[in-house]
Amino acid sequence: MNSLWQYRVRNIFSIGIICLSFLIVGIFFSLSNNLQYLANQLSENMVVVFFLDPGVSPQQLGLVEEKIKAAPAVIHLRYISREQALERFRKNFPELEEILKNLSSNPFPASFEATLRKEAFMSAEIPAFIRQVKGMAGVEDVQFNRDWVDKMQSLSRLAKAIGFLLGGILVLASFFIISNVIRLNVFARKNEIEILRLVGATNTFIRLPFLLEGLTLGILGSTLSLILLFLLVRLFPLYLGHSLGALQQMISFRYLSLAQSLGLIGGSALMGFMGSLTSLARFLKI
Amino acid sequence: MIELYHIWKQYQEGQWALTDISLYVKRGDFWFITGPSGSGKSTLLKIIFREILPTRGQIVVDSVNVLRLHDHKIYRLRRTMGIVFQDFRLLFHKKVFDNVALGLHVLGTPMKEIRRRVFNALRMVNLHQKMWEYPSHLSYGEQQRVAIARAVVNEPQILLADEPTGNLDPELAFEIISVFKEINKQGTTVIICSHDKELIRHFGDKILFLFKGKIIGKEVLPSSKN
Repeated sequence: MNSLWQYRVRNIFSIGIICLSFLIVGIFFSLSNNLQYLANQLSENMVVVFFLDPGVSPQQLGLVEEKIKAAPAVIHLRYISREQALERFRKNFPELEEILKNLSSNPFPASFEATLRKEAFMSAEIPAFIRQVKGMAGVEDVQFNRDWVDKMQSLSRLAKAIGFLLGGILVLASFFIISNVIRLNVFARKNEIEILRLVGATNTFIRLPFLLEGLTLGILGSTLSLILLFLLVRLFPLYLGHSLGALQQMISFRYLSLAQSLGLIGGSALMGFMGSLTSLARFLKI
Repeated sequence: MIELYHIWKQYQEGQWALTDISLYVKRGDFWFITGPSGSGKSTLLKIIFREILPTRGQIVVDSVNVLRLHDHKIYRLRRTMGIVFQDFRLLFHKKVFDNVALGLHVLGTPMKEIRRRVFNALRMVNLHQKMWEYPSHLSYGEQQRVAIARAVVNEPQILLADEPTGNLDPELAFEIISVFKEINKQGTTVIICSHDKELIRHFGDKILFLFKGKIIGKEVLPSSKN
């Protein structure tokens, strides 16, 4: 610890670099978490809306209803008449009331709203089922937002991959920085090391402080990055509050999970330790 | 205690730093190794504490063949020795106490015991009142006494000193060698490399003369206790 303070400028520099590297990794992980969360939110209570032809006959209506109800993925089915659809629009968008008044007829089609089971939502059978229903007489169109969820999940995976790639490069850079900082510390304490050798210190006794230094630098750097990330996650929605509008209600910014946080600290500690070890192996021939 | 058998040392091709050196140092001996600069005194000392290896020959310290000692076990040999250098080799960012305590810390000695032994070692060299000062606040003579205290604090069997008075004026040099003599009286084997003829004449009872890496004479005075 004395040595950390003694060579504080270079140690602070290396902590800063480690912090920055792990902050970038953390940001991408957090982004990935948020996208994944959003995808989960979207897939929860996911509804497929089957819009019906205005001229659908009661027979056709019955067949369509039976077909949808028979699907094991459907847990709830609701019929929305044209009047109900109009009423719902009025309720949700009262500011557009004037437009509705100017309309001579009800433009909203009747529909079936089928709520899918969460686990069935992403299954391969769903598109086939939707296609079948869409092909039935009396069904005009289908609205199903699985594409959005797919996109969210792809983005989440992409963010994680970028996090790993960019993080890998930056962590490697941090590794070399720690290695070089320890090397400088070894050179700065050359006299001390020599004296320790003369008074009979074991190799472990001489190496241990340097290894602990690397470990501490790693832990301090990553802990600082997690604190900064926490602040970012907390402050970002405040900053974007107005521009997000209604979305702010929907998007709840997520921090890293405990396992991810511990993983980052552990990885950083390991990196610091290995950086030290490499440096000692190369520059401390004892 | 220390047995040197036909030690040869070559740093560069064709240049022998030591040529066929054999010496037997008994437990409790007080030896001076002398000779002009470049005669091989320091090289011989470095071989004894296994800083360097001889090109040829064998060396046994306290029944241990030093050349067969693995690198990672050198510390065992060093723990039986105290070493003092001309340039003191003190840590100037640490206090006198911490400098002396270094040899005890590496042994894992408890702090209470460290305090007691450091105090005793510093009292022996008459520096116990400056225990909490930094070496830079001490005179050269005092700094060398700190180095001696550090060398003897773990009560080594052998004390090696390479030109310990090289940077000191004659009066201080006498004082320092007197300290070595006191340590020797307590049973520690002492080997000092020095080219100071005056000191050797006054204190030397066993003297090894080196010239260009060769022994040109050994002198064992009748006053020597062995």
